[in-house]
Amino acid sequence: MLYQKSATELSAMMAKGEISAVELTQSVLDRIGETDDKVGAYLTVCSESALAQAADIDARRAKGETLSPMAGIPVSIKDNICTKGVLTTCASKMLYNFKPPYSATVIERLEAAGAVMPGKLNLDEFAMGSSCENSAFRITHNPHDLTRVPGGSSGGSAAAVASGEAVMALGSDTGGSIRQPASCCGIVGLKPTYGSVSRYGLVAFASSLDQIGPMTRTVADCALLYNTICGHDPRDATSAYREYPDFTRCMGKGVKGLRIGVPKEYFGLGVTEEVQKAVLDAVDALVREGATVKEISLPSTDTALAAYYIISSAEASSNLARFDGVKYGYRAKETDGLIDLYERSRSEGFGDEVKRRIMLGTFMLSSGFFDAYYKRGKLLQQRIGAEFAEAFEGCDLIATPTSPCTAFKIGENVGDPLKMYAADICTVTVNIASLPAISIPCGTGADGMPIGLQLIGPRFSEASLFNAAAHYESLVGGFNKIPAIG
Amino acid sequence: MNESKIDINHIAKLARLKLDEQQAEKFARQITDILGMVDKLPEIEGTASGLDPENPMRLRPDVVVPSATTREEILSNAPQVEAGCVVVPRIVE
Amino acid sequence: MKKDYEVIIGLEVHAELNTKSKIFCTCKNAFGGEVNANCCPVCTGMPGSLPVLNEQVVYSCIRMGQALGCTIHNVCKQDRKNYFYPDLPKAYQISQFDVPLCENGSLEVILDDEGHTKRIGVTRIHIEEDAGKLIHDDNFSGSLVDFNRCGVPLIEIVSEPDMRSSAEAKAYLETIKSILQYLDISDCKMQEGSIRCDVNVSVRPAGQKEFGTRVEMKNVNSFSAAVRAIDYEAARQIELLEDGGHVVQETRKWNDAIGENMVLRSKEDAQDYRYFPEPDLLTIVVPQEKVDELRAMQPELPNERCKRYLFENKLPRFDANLLVENRDRGDLFDATVALGAPSKAAANWLNGDVARLLAERGVTLAETRLTAAGLAEMIAAIEKKTISNTAGKTVIEEIMFTDRTVEQVIAEKGLAQVSDAGALRGVVEEVLANNEKAVGEYKAGKTNVLGFLVGQCMRATKGKGNPELLRGLLEELLG
Repeated sequence: MLYQKSATELSAMMAKGEISAVELTQSVLDRIGETDDKVGAYLTVCSESALAQAADIDARRAKGETLSPMAGIPVSIKDNICTKGVLTTCASKMLYNFKPPYSATVIERLEAAGAVMPGKLNLDEFAMGSSCENSAFRITHNPHDLTRVPGGSSGGSAAAVASGEAVMALGSDTGGSIRQPASCCGIVGLKPTYGSVSRYGLVAFASSLDQIGPMTRTVADCALLYNTICGHDPRDATSAYREYPDFTRCMGKGVKGLRIGVPKEYFGLGVTEEVQKAVLDAVDALVREGATVKEISLPSTDTALAAYYIISSAEASSNLARFDGVKYGYRAKETDGLIDLYERSRSEGFGDEVKRRIMLGTFMLSSGFFDAYYKRGKLLQQRIGAEFAEAFEGCDLIATPTSPCTAFKIGENVGDPLKMYAADICTVTVNIASLPAISIPCGTGADGMPIGLQLIGPRFSEASLFNAAAHYESLVGGFNKIPAIG
Repeated sequence: MNESKIDINHIAKLARLKLDEQQAEKFARQITDILGMVDKLPEIEGTASGLDPENPMRLRPDVVVPSATTREEILSNAPQVEAGCVVVPRIVE
Repeated sequence: MKKDYEVIIGLEVHAELNTKSKIFCTCKNAFGGEVNANCCPVCTGMPGSLPVLNEQVVYSCIRMGQALGCTIHNVCKQDRKNYFYPDLPKAYQISQFDVPLCENGSLEVILDDEGHTKRIGVTRIHIEEDAGKLIHDDNFSGSLVDFNRCGVPLIEIVSEPDMRSSAEAKAYLETIKSILQYLDISDCKMQEGSIRCDVNVSVRPAGQKEFGTRVEMKNVNSFSAAVRAIDYEAARQIELLEDGGHVVQETRKWNDAIGENMVLRSKEDAQDYRYFPEPDLLTIVVPQEKVDELRAMQPELPNERCKRYLFENKLPRFDANLLVENRDRGDLFDATVALGAPSKAAANWLNGDVARLLAERGVTLAETRLTAAGLAEMIAAIEKKTISNTAGKTVIEEIMFTDRTVEQVIAEKGLAQVSDAGALRGVVEEVLANNEKAVGEYKAGKTNVLGFLVGQCMRATKGKGNPELLRGLLEELLG
């Protein structure tokens, strides 16, 4: 079936005229119709507009236009990325009816490349969570075991890609929200270098940590999608000024001489033995191909989660203040005056996890506590960044687990924020240090659930990450396997 | 662990959230737990000036490009609109 | 027994900058217009939108800082000031907190006609965004929000508590305004709210070292309102103290219409703004060469110019102020004096007939043909008695609004003075014959009728007679 193929294959088939974009889009829409009742990945399906976009691509191709490799490829979008005129809810009651008056830069780039948008994907409310259970609208299930979570916050994106309900998807990653669900669902997910992908139009959670990134079933697809979305954007002041290579041509260079660092601190932290073993086995496989490995130390790793919750919650408390029932979204009924309108709209519109982080951040920034929390978080951030910089003097890439365990059962960690937060323990450092990291599948646990290998590189080393990840992918005979649903 | 340092109702007021007693108790406990994670961190020396001159920002030239978004689009999501304006409860000044 | 009190005043001036575009988006920076029609996702705080800082805002603020002798922090940042209000769509204002662009400056203001000055400390100047406007209309049950003003760039100029009277505060405000105008960085239109100020007032018994409790006043919308607000508040505080009470630290709102203020919020509900560095913007770094380039653009400042007019040109304060008020007028004055014209004469012409003609025709100096050379030539013609002062009034109008030279106007209009005693003697004799009554009075000792007789002679010569010569002849013939 077409939806099972990789974007790279499908792009070649369309270019040769073997299939049409409409056929491909219909295949994906049919798959959504077939399995999304069970998976629950989508919040909005845009059948009509997706087919119209596909038909337009087919017409342009028929006229002999030269099209981008992304032309006609369906890319589904996490529902915290603004799409003009299409619901963008952030999986929150607060934005249950919000149709943005503009599109995010990444959406404009995808449209310019001719990509098709089948729909918008579920997430933890405002991207806060690690299981997708914090969505105000629906639970997303892990395609590998429907009783388990898909990870989060980009759980809808991961589940859609893993189940074949999407060929590719965009997620966003603030503390692991692309990589951890990618790991849980057995797919590829890249958290790009901070500043390489425009945040314009991404509903902000923590501005200094957020980054949009690709989620795909193969490494080559990941490079293809990253090609399309990366690049400077004058509308985002934190966007980097630089030229980027064609990442689809950065693979196949082998790993001979590649120096892989393995930080011992990432193999404690409650990481299960089977995950540790799978990750170290994957590193061994690369070593057999000519890479070298050395144990390194990143001593401040155990402080990263605290630093992450300080910085992300502080920024979130401010970023989410604009949701007040006045300009857009949910407004409480029959309120008594302005303050009551604010308080009731926000209390009724936000879920518990969002409220918890808003209050945590508000407290940390409040008078008398700034130095003890926010300032301390920034100092820790500096130290963590410095330790990575030092580590990269002795190695090219760092290999760690992505998630400390395989996907847990739905409901297992609800009501215990600290236990839930521990799911991000291996991923938050990367955001804290503005680095790129890719998660790729590296075997399964005793429960049959996927395990993820995280490769972390220095800033703007995505080409090297893709090359190493693609090499490992070829060693295991490819990642692109869609499980039977149900 | 310092339970008393979170005045949850004051924080909720700052954040424009309304909590009932039960919620206030629950959030206070959970936030205290999370803060515990921070409080057990080692004291760390140094200055966090918030300035990073190595990574300066490029400024925008002072050029007008009229908005591509119309007033109707800007107001299209507002719960209540009158006379081209968003409406809020009457503010007595 | 009533004690003497000292009033302590500090001012926070908010000035809207006259950049072309807004501070964080490319919407036009314009006053008024159809409600909510000059907005975009950025300035209305749409989810996902991001700010991009306008370089001109930074440069204008640096120029003001340089004019006020501030230290320029060319490496600085912006911070978020968090509070909920309907006119602030993001629920935070992007401002500057611990590292403002400009810090530790001062300003010399001229206090009186003798040119006594006082130096007022300037704590800091920072950049920030303006908020929208709330419209209260009886036709609606609620208040309406217009976001057009959101994102208009502001600089906030914070003074030290260095002023001791409302008059000093007014002089400070007027000097700030004239500097903004000289630098051409703000339109300074009070009626459009492009300059606003918050006033901090405290009082202390004369001789006491410690400051009294400070009260902040908002909603002071003009300089004259500032004077009224300060005088009212100082009197209120003194009365409180005299009655054995104490001043409460609070924010009060000035109501200029009734000339009173009332409590806006007490110290207890002082807002906790939770400032933190704006994560959507990186560090602002202005290269030193740019800072130097901006400094090189700095014109002579109005307060310096005023002092020069007082002490070097020996002009009365009234004349000096009028010349300083309008930068073009002052520039023309300087150029005219440089060509040899006496200061007083140049000032009189510019502040008198020139200003009157501009007002009558509703044009600016730059829109006329008046040059320093023309004005100097005309003044010289009067000095040399080639023409009379009265003829000068005709000349000035011609050289302002036509392309004729001073020489041409004098020739064409026949304005040259008659200085031939022989020709004038006949005129004088005729005037004396026609004014017997005046002659009688003069002879009776009322010598001040001489001025009247000179005037009659001037009229008879159609303004061309040399008045001094005429006076001499009159005295001779009457003698």
